[in-house]
Amino acid sequence: KSFLERDPRGSLTGENVSTKDGIDALLIGAYAALDGQQQDVAAIGTGGPWEAAPSNWIYGSVAGGDAHKGSDATDQPPISLIATGQFDASNGFFNTKWKVLFEGVTRTNIILSLLPNVKDMSAAQVTQVQAEARFLRGHYYFELKKMFGKVPWVDEMHITDYKQPNNTDIWPKIEEDFKFAYESLPPTQSQAGRANKWAAAAYLAKTYVYQKKWTDAKPLFDLITTQGVTAKGDKYALTPRFEDNFDAATKNNSESVFAIQMSANNGTGQISNGNQGEMLNFPYNSPFGCCGFYQPTQDLVNSFRTDANGLPFLEDYNDHAVKSDMKVLSTAPFTPDAGNLDPRLDWTVGRRGIPYLDWGNHPGRSWVRDQDYAGPYAPKKNVYWQYNQDKYKDPNSWAPGSAINLVLIRYSDVLLMAAETEAELTNLDAAQAYVNMVRTRAANPQTRVYKYIDDTKPMGGFSNTPAANYVIASYPAGAFTGMGKDGALKAIRFERKLELAMEGQRFFDIVRWGTAPAELTRFFAYESKITTDLNGGKFVVGRNEHYPIPQRQIDLSFKNGAKTLEQNEGY
Amino acid sequence: NPLPGVTVAVKNSGRGTATDPAGNFSLTAKKGETLVFSFVGYTQQEVVLGDAASISVVLSEKVGSLDEVVVTGYATQRKKDLTGAVSVVNVEQISRQPTAQVSNQLQGQVSGITVLGSGQPGEEPQVRIRGVNTFGNNTPLYVIDGVPTQNIVDLNPYDVASMQVLKDAGSASIYGARAANGVIIITTKRGKPDGKVRVTYDGYYGTQRPKGGNVWHILSPQEMANLKWMALKNTDPNVVYNDGLYGSGATPRLPDYIAPGGLMEGDPAVDPSKYNVNPFYKNPSDLDNFYRINKANKGGTDWFHEIFKPAMITSHNVSVSGGGDQGAYYLSFYYFNQKGTLLDTYLKRYSIRSNSFFNVGKHVRIGENLEFSVIDNPRITALTEGSGIGMAFREQPIIPVRDIKGNFAGSFSTNGAQLGNARNPVAIQERTKDNRGLGNRLLGNVYGEVDFLQHFTFRTSFGGEVYSASNHSFTYPEYENAENNKVNSYTESATSGYNWTWSNTLTYSQSFNKIHNVKVLVGTEAFDNHGRMVTGTTQNYFIFDPNFTNLGTGTGTVTNNSNAFTDGLFSIFGRLDYSLFDKYLLGAVIRRDGSSRFGANNRYGTFPAISAGWRVSQEEFLKHVSWISDLKIRGGWGIMGNQLNVDPSNAFTQYGLNKGSSFYDIGGTSNTLASGFFRTTIGNPDAKWESNINTNVGFDATLFKGKLEISADYYKKRVKDLLFTPEVSGTAGRSNPPAVNIAEMQNHGIDLSLGINDIHITKELVLKANATLTTYKNKIINISGDAPYFDLEARRFNGNFIIRNAIDHPISSFYGYKTVGFWNTAEEIAAANDQAQKATNNPNAVYQTGIKLGRFRYQDTNGDGIITDADRTFLGNPSPDFSYGLNLQLDYKNFDFTVFLYGVQGNNIWNQVRWWTDFYPSFAGAKSKTALYDSWRPDHQNAKAPIQENEGSFSTNTVPNSFLVENGSYLRAKNMMLGYTLPKAVLQRIGIEKFRIYVQAANLFTITKYSGIDPEITGGTTNFGLDEGAYPNQRQFLVGVNVGF
Repeated sequence: KSFLERDPRGSLTGENVSTKDGIDALLIGAYAALDGQQQDVAAIGTGGPWEAAPSNWIYGSVAGGDAHKGSDATDQPPISLIATGQFDASNGFFNTKWKVLFEGVTRTNIILSLLPNVKDMSAAQVTQVQAEARFLRGHYYFELKKMFGKVPWVDEMHITDYKQPNNTDIWPKIEEDFKFAYESLPPTQSQAGRANKWAAAAYLAKTYVYQKKWTDAKPLFDLITTQGVTAKGDKYALTPRFEDNFDAATKNNSESVFAIQMSANNGTGQISNGNQGEMLNFPYNSPFGCCGFYQPTQDLVNSFRTDANGLPFLEDYNDHAVKSDMKVLSTAPFTPDAGNLDPRLDWTVGRRGIPYLDWGNHPGRSWVRDQDYAGPYAPKKNVYWQYNQDKYKDPNSWAPGSAINLVLIRYSDVLLMAAETEAELTNLDAAQAYVNMVRTRAANPQTRVYKYIDDTKPMGGFSNTPAANYVIASYPAGAFTGMGKDGALKAIRFERKLELAMEGQRFFDIVRWGTAPAELTRFFAYESKITTDLNGGKFVVGRNEHYPIPQRQIDLSFKNGAKTLEQNEGY
Repeated sequence: NPLPGVTVAVKNSGRGTATDPAGNFSLTAKKGETLVFSFVGYTQQEVVLGDAASISVVLSEKVGSLDEVVVTGYATQRKKDLTGAVSVVNVEQISRQPTAQVSNQLQGQVSGITVLGSGQPGEEPQVRIRGVNTFGNNTPLYVIDGVPTQNIVDLNPYDVASMQVLKDAGSASIYGARAANGVIIITTKRGKPDGKVRVTYDGYYGTQRPKGGNVWHILSPQEMANLKWMALKNTDPNVVYNDGLYGSGATPRLPDYIAPGGLMEGDPAVDPSKYNVNPFYKNPSDLDNFYRINKANKGGTDWFHEIFKPAMITSHNVSVSGGGDQGAYYLSFYYFNQKGTLLDTYLKRYSIRSNSFFNVGKHVRIGENLEFSVIDNPRITALTEGSGIGMAFREQPIIPVRDIKGNFAGSFSTNGAQLGNARNPVAIQERTKDNRGLGNRLLGNVYGEVDFLQHFTFRTSFGGEVYSASNHSFTYPEYENAENNKVNSYTESATSGYNWTWSNTLTYSQSFNKIHNVKVLVGTEAFDNHGRMVTGTTQNYFIFDPNFTNLGTGTGTVTNNSNAFTDGLFSIFGRLDYSLFDKYLLGAVIRRDGSSRFGANNRYGTFPAISAGWRVSQEEFLKHVSWISDLKIRGGWGIMGNQLNVDPSNAFTQYGLNKGSSFYDIGGTSNTLASGFFRTTIGNPDAKWESNINTNVGFDATLFKGKLEISADYYKKRVKDLLFTPEVSGTAGRSNPPAVNIAEMQNHGIDLSLGINDIHITKELVLKANATLTTYKNKIINISGDAPYFDLEARRFNGNFIIRNAIDHPISSFYGYKTVGFWNTAEEIAAANDQAQKATNNPNAVYQTGIKLGRFRYQDTNGDGIITDADRTFLGNPSPDFSYGLNLQLDYKNFDFTVFLYGVQGNNIWNQVRWWTDFYPSFAGAKSKTALYDSWRPDHQNAKAPIQENEGSFSTNTVPNSFLVENGSYLRAKNMMLGYTLPKAVLQRIGIEKFRIYVQAANLFTITKYSGIDPEITGGTTNFGLDEGAYPNQRQFLVGVNVGF
């Protein structure tokens, strides 16, 4: 080679990776984009990790009224605008999320485009890779679709021609990807983290549910609930303990339909593979170090109130408010609420006087950055235990990472979608049966939080005394039929709120149900009397149903002098 | 008049003498030998000895600097023959600035150069020749004794003999591929072949004083408490005070203890026996059991002065030089030591230089220039909120530096005492004290020159640099802050590399009948560059003793990384200089460069330039105008190239792996990762050279027999095919896109310099002065096919950017909402909302998100009756309208007094420090006097800051707005110096040639309206002028001596 011809250092060519081993590694890379994170505390590409958190804690839970942004007033102000519905297209959070999801799409597209050049793979191996890649692409587009509505379809034919218009509904394309995956993937996989046939089935069913294609969804749910197994081959079932879904020690259990695999202390010296997107969501001035975000709302806490029969107050739960320690110093005495409560509350929300896993009773205000601003509560589902923290906590950043998986589809989610489908098809008894499966698990004594044997030694074990007055029961036979279709749907939707609280689902659910305007208007009126962070909160009909296409992306879409992307309605 | 002290030497012999007070001399010489007479201020004269026993010589006074020989690209020219825009640096003048960096010394001294630095020892300043020329690397090309290099940080300023700045294409295009950012040619000192051995010593010692007073206007602890009460009341008029720190009374009270929060003396919880802190804990979970006891510092901690202290500076340089007809040598040793005013920052430098040349017969010369330098220079990254400086304006003043047992105190709090989340700045700095780095470089060349056939000279030079640097640092676990790093780790890194340049030139020079003067040069040059970097980190050390910690002695996670690079250039070039009647001058240059950074499609670029000059003063009609000694009009056009802004692998689509973003725990193990690949970069095989098309017109005038010299230039540059890595649509994925030649920008401006030479105010009071003026106006013409702008610097505005680089605007422009006062009454708000509702046909419309009494009212820029993101506008930019320097020197008998003033006018600064201190809700850190005393209240509507509240808002602090933009103009007394030279008569008795002693004050005062700590704010190429805690320039007071033997 001549003096002026020099090959790049430290990288691979397209030829190098167009082999079986190269494709396998690219597929791992496509899975790796699920968490949206990279090294040095950033989302893939750039932007704060939380802006692209796959849990959607901002876009699903905070925006849906499950939680306050938390922390203090100007920490991450764009989240405040998302929380109060005042966001516009210049909000950089949407841009980060969009870019990260399209990186996921791109990684799968590259695999699909390189596959025809690979010589050392059998047809079956090719199909398997295609199916996993298309499952992942389906997921990335599903996220894009529910966030942004008008999404351009870019596939393996468009690797260089990536400026595609967003004027066509992409649901059919998403369905195609999941269908291909469902039909091509094996029921079990050698590795727990891989998508299998049943994960694809569940995601396809969820795609139908989002489109209200109830008759397409029903047969699929019938199959999943009778034949579905995890990638490891375990028959789908709810775990006896609700908390097992939020504990690294019990990951990839029978309830884990498809999860993003998180790992800690994995040799990177970083937390980028350890749920970095939720690094902010731990109590402040606490053993966790940072950052006091994602504080559950009073409205959510009140939702867990149960009546004498152990059933929720579907309408007027805020009239049965749960006592809080708002404005009470940690040094002043406080007795927690003594009324009836759904035990899932205390696995979902950290509140004063109740064991916070094995970290001690939550001390209230002293673990909260600014209680007047964002309320007295702490998140819990993403928090690791003290006894096994050396294994599952990752201390390699200024805020913790953890090995707790992010379960994208949990079997209880499948059951509640199945219930919804049955109710929509007016099979109310069948719907009730699904809901009661979920409530029965919640009523399992193993799902209660118990007081410590010794409050000063939280790692010394739990007593047999429940930490609160837990009263919960299944709906009595015929209850849904008695309520009628609308009543049953109301109960099912409320059950989703309780069961999947703080799991990034709420906003997308209330939008697809069309209940967002009423729910959020009521929520802002109630919650803004308690904290100062929700001023100006509103839901603008005809606009807020979708987040705006990021302005930056519209500006970057010029092709021959014209924009290829158009904005959503109302922006 | 007889001239005493004139040097008389026999050429090429080493024999010489000097004239006595009567102007007489005697010397032994043979017939045919040449005597050389030289004297400062007079034109050197040579006389060939004939038969006469005595000769008498009349020396003529120099007229200005016309005959000065100037080193330009691969050649030398007399100043009067120059046709390009070349600034000749007054080396003696710039060397008065007490810094070890030559580029710092250039600030304000040369027209056409903008230098932005900071007070941090060893920090390389931004040097820009004629503004910003590219979105990427704007560093000029330095050519030291013929060796091109990108940096001169380690060049010993005392070694510089001459320095020329080539500013336009006419002068710089000969460096084609690398000329676009301008070229600075430096020649280092050589020995004089006059038979004498000279020894010089230059040294100074001094003290540096940080700025005094309350530099950020921070409140006292009691005032902080009062502000909190005010903000809470403003947020909720019915507030019930119940604060973990300040109690629950109507007036806040300061506690005796801040940890445990809010307690008073005597409380059992502050019993010192409960104290439990192990500052060197190893297990992160130990932190959970610590019991901290911190007293409140009710008087307030002055964090700035806790980390900024007076510091020493000293410099010593010794040189030995000499030579004769066989050759000459120059040897120097330099030691420089500057402590930073910021704790644990400093610069130590050592360098030795050896320059020599040998005459092999009459027509062959062989020589070498070599410098070896060593730098030890721990620094911080300033201008960001996370630095020690950034924390010093964020850490609350009630926090003491240390706790009751002498360990660090900090923002850790309990009992709901809100102490913010800043980190202890003293701790940050002290924890760096064992971090070390050492860099060294060998830079130089060997060369040979042959004269042949009378008019030809062949020169070959082989030179380059070999460098390496290593750093190691230890990260201590923290325990005192609200947010602590809990992991101890050790990091070591090393870089090394080399490059060589081999150039060969052939020069032909002939004069025909003294009418035509022709000089032709052709040459080739090859450049080869290689480097490597390696870094590793290990966690979890048994002890933190710096003698123990290394990459092998940790027990925890090990990470390592390395990379390598290589690139090369090959060039051929030629130049022609022609002058007719010494009156009409013409220069032409062409260079063809090939670069390995480009794909085969566009590997080569050609860069031509032509320039011409007309010495009007030589024309008959001006020859008789006695006050015009010389007047020359110049003009030139040419193209300069740039290839720095393209990665050597730009042409290739590449795949790679990264543990953070492409590895995945596919097996669900919780603590291992399967390795995965991803596409890392998209290639562009079509990238080509940036071309900087440059037009320059100017004149040089020498007036009043050289008493006044003026040089002025107007230039216009159009930079085309700018290599820019545009952001691409998100639908392309996040692989690094390639650099493409799409962007374009334009600069125009005026360079003006003015010199006054030796004006005798009285017989013994002599004035010298010179002034420079530099202007540049930058405008972006095009950015990319994808989008008309790119944004940078979100800082705390997440996703809303402060800086927008947009078409038709200068680079690094500030962007956001323009504030137009406050919302003073409910009626104003109602009227605005009413207007918005009409404008949008929406009965629920609100004029401005977060509209509320006392908050900012934003300008409705697009006039649509409602504030949306379309109302953001350009709020100024950090490029000055002009900058200027003024040197004055007064000599009186043996005293000399110099003043150097430097000023910048018409620039803006984005003062992000005030975002932290002027808005109560911008985190619970230290706040300013403005927040408490000059914020909006119903009874104080004519306020500076908006109402203080406990919630952030679009209408106050959560989006970039013009509140933070300030005028950054300033005038600084960079240097004042008073020197005294001992009379020659005294010195001769003790055998010393020169002895001068001086006192000096640098940065004595700065006149500015800027409210921050220092208006000189640096930054990146496309994002500068953003102040978030600058390392300020400090006053320096020095005494020094210059001695010559």
